[in-house]
Amino acid sequence: MKIGVAYDFVRWEERAIIDAIKKLGHDVVPLQVSKKVFWLTEPNGYSGLDFIIQRCVSFYRALSSTAIFEEQGIQVVNNFNVIRDCEDKLYTTLKLAKNNIPVPRTGVSFSRDGCLDIAEKLGYPLVVKPIYGSWGRMVSRALDRDSLLEIIEFREYMQSPYLKVHYVQEYIDKPSRDIRAFYFWGEVPAAIYRVSNSWKTNTALGGVAVEAELNNELIEIVKKTGYIMGGGVLGIDILESRDGRYFVSEVNAVPEFRNTVRVTGKDLARKMIELTIKNIKK
Amino acid sequence: MRKLECPICGGFMEIPDDAVSGELFEHDECGAQLELEIDENGNYRLKEAEEISEDWGQ
Repeated sequence: MKIGVAYDFVRWEERAIIDAIKKLGHDVVPLQVSKKVFWLTEPNGYSGLDFIIQRCVSFYRALSSTAIFEEQGIQVVNNFNVIRDCEDKLYTTLKLAKNNIPVPRTGVSFSRDGCLDIAEKLGYPLVVKPIYGSWGRMVSRALDRDSLLEIIEFREYMQSPYLKVHYVQEYIDKPSRDIRAFYFWGEVPAAIYRVSNSWKTNTALGGVAVEAELNNELIEIVKKTGYIMGGGVLGIDILESRDGRYFVSEVNAVPEFRNTVRVTGKDLARKMIELTIKNIKK
Repeated sequence: MRKLECPICGGFMEIPDDAVSGELFEHDECGAQLELEIDENGNYRLKEAEEISEDWGQ
């Protein structure tokens, strides 16, 4: 097969994917999206590819280039809808809740007063998140009414229009860790705990990866979440409460997996390519 | 391996032959995050990696 890898930077993950494609005996075509010109009105010469693995770290590069590849007839993993739906936390939460996946209780308001109304129902502490973004960036915890008002004030002075969409969520008091589980085409090949003394457990913020063995309930949650979101290849973040309940917090459509490979020893890049070849529509 | 100059400290670092344009490297000597750039004529150079943007992640 001839497999494209769309990227803007080659991090550890993209290098592992490129190497896995080669080791499996396929041809790899690296596509540095950030340096290319794409024509919307004529073919761009990628029709010989069997499919493309989308790995842009920039959401807008990932989404835009996927749109172009797909509309010009090349399958992309993950596809446009999956990338768009997973990036938007508002939509992810909405879609999962509608399909009875456990998620933290969440409200959205476009005003300060609306946020106070949500807070009255949820109680404190609570979490205010940007609807777009990763690595825990600008995710804030309001401990009381005053800190919620301060967070909203900061957001309202910021330029980005999406920060005026206030996504306000119940705070889950978790046991110093959360779970990052991987979903590849209906399978759950690996999972880690991200352990941290901070309430934000992202490994990008210093959370330490430890291999996790998932129980049947968690595996079912991961599989159902992946199916509902339409992926593909996903990283699914799950919070566990101290009384043993689980809540899906985010779904990532271009997941990083370096730390998971390091602590589990599992070759996730190879697994990703093998399962994608097996499952991609011919 | 190919030896390229670090644009931050002026030292040299070795880049694998199969490295592709956009590949990130950390220069052990100065800690700089560097990006390999290969132009249309096949010329190689290292440049400082792009700063993290608001829409990066996962």
